[in-house]
Amino acid sequence: MVRDAGAADGDRPVDISVRGLAVTFGQPRNVLTDVDVTVLRGEFVALIGASGCGKTTLLNVVAGLVPAASGTVTIAGTPPAAGRRDICYVLARDALLPWRTVMGNVEYGLELSGIGREERARRAAAYVDRVGLAHARDLYPSRLSQGMRQRVSLARAFAVGRSLYLMDEPFSALDSQTKLVLHDQLLGLWESSRATVVFVTHDIGEAITLADRVLVMSRKGTGVVDEIRVDLARPRSAEALQADAHYHDLYRRTWTSLKASAQ
Amino acid sequence: MTDIASSEARLDSAARAKGGRSASIFAARALFLAVILAIWQGAVALGLANAAFVSTPAAVAQSLWHLFKDGEIFPDLATTVLEIAIAFSLSVVFGIGSAVVLDRNDWLNRIVSPFLTAFNSMPRIALGPLFILWFGIGIASKVVLAFSLGYFIMLLSTLGGLKNVDRDLLLMSRLFGASELRLFRDVRFPWALPSIFAGLKLTLIYCSAGAVIGEMIAAKRGLGVLLQSFSGRFDVAGVLALILIVALLVMALTSLMDLLERRLLDWSKGSTDVPG
Repeated sequence: MVRDAGAADGDRPVDISVRGLAVTFGQPRNVLTDVDVTVLRGEFVALIGASGCGKTTLLNVVAGLVPAASGTVTIAGTPPAAGRRDICYVLARDALLPWRTVMGNVEYGLELSGIGREERARRAAAYVDRVGLAHARDLYPSRLSQGMRQRVSLARAFAVGRSLYLMDEPFSALDSQTKLVLHDQLLGLWESSRATVVFVTHDIGEAITLADRVLVMSRKGTGVVDEIRVDLARPRSAEALQADAHYHDLYRRTWTSLKASAQ
Repeated sequence: MTDIASSEARLDSAARAKGGRSASIFAARALFLAVILAIWQGAVALGLANAAFVSTPAAVAQSLWHLFKDGEIFPDLATTVLEIAIAFSLSVVFGIGSAVVLDRNDWLNRIVSPFLTAFNSMPRIALGPLFILWFGIGIASKVVLAFSLGYFIMLLSTLGGLKNVDRDLLLMSRLFGASELRLFRDVRFPWALPSIFAGLKLTLIYCSAGAVIGEMIAAKRGLGVLLQSFSGRFDVAGVLALILIVALLVMALTSLMDLLERRLLDWSKGSTDVPG
């Protein structure tokens, strides 16, 4: 088992530290056992693994939604808690309020973060514009395509400007073309935010396109079995990467590792 | 984005087509009514039906005219409207209030829900004479009877809406740091609003039925009292005229609620029209 030691540069502070984590959900059999993960500040880490490997559970522990049975978890030096003001969780489903327009939904996150009315409207408009939905700002979610809805969800998340983003397969319901567009938008939002991101996915291409490091989790819930450093230059373009030979090398390497993890 | 622009255009043209059709639907409705009235009047004129039993459209119209001409109906109408208004308001306030409490307190909900079901299963109309015994022949007994019908409708429809709230919306809001109050204001209540509107319309219908039936059992004033005296005199036209007045009153108030619903729920498309 690879004891993941973080990016090991030493010049960046550790943002998330998971040591010897076990999660049981009160069952005799562990969902996660002895998991160690380190994520540095400003790092984009993708968690990948077979279904049922506990990657979403790990994310939920960090989010403070699932209690740890044993082990220690710290985020910026403090234990996890749901509703922390420095963490933003992006769900697999877009979770837009159907009775609010695109603008209203982006403002909702800001409202809950206690931002004043004027600043709210200004920031929401800027982020709606950044995800390319300025023309749709007054539409209700029922009038939007799935890709547009997920863009609103991204705008809502990044408008609040938190230091850690936890994302649970936010693009899993999208077709591959729409995914590429969303990847570029997420990269754009993240690069200007300099936030830490932990991104759960089962899509290898998505993990490599987005992340600095891809952590492959074992199927048995025993944590990280392999780590792939994605040394592709930034800023990246999801579409251009499709023609990049090194991207495909990394893809093959990750695929082999993922296959081995599922044995 | 062109795909939105074009789908927007399609939606707009669909809305226009609907608007264009509404005039012809209005005409068809008028025709439908005219045909029914003609069959009714014709059947009596041809001797197929007895005017003493079924009256005629003309006689009903004449009764209506007489009721309003000398203003004799107004004290009764005002009494019934007052009873409906009080019972409806109480049903709405207490129905929504109880639903919110029961939604937030599962322990309490599990204790009282069999009793709610039991009381709601009782034929409340049959309790009418008891209500009159307990609350007198004034408006109080009618308000109680109408409230006993309306309250449960309002409670159950609101509770149904609150219970099926989208868990992801709650989770997302909590993770953004929402308080319980914000969760109610920004997620639970708007989510339940379509069910609340469906309940409001049914509640109005049942409150007016409760008020009129209560008056028919025993009352000093009210449309139900008039109804009793007309049917006692076999004045079929008078009875039908009074029923028509109640129906028109309820329909007018229901359309008012539809209007409000369309404004408040324009995000959800379509209204929760209740037949009746």
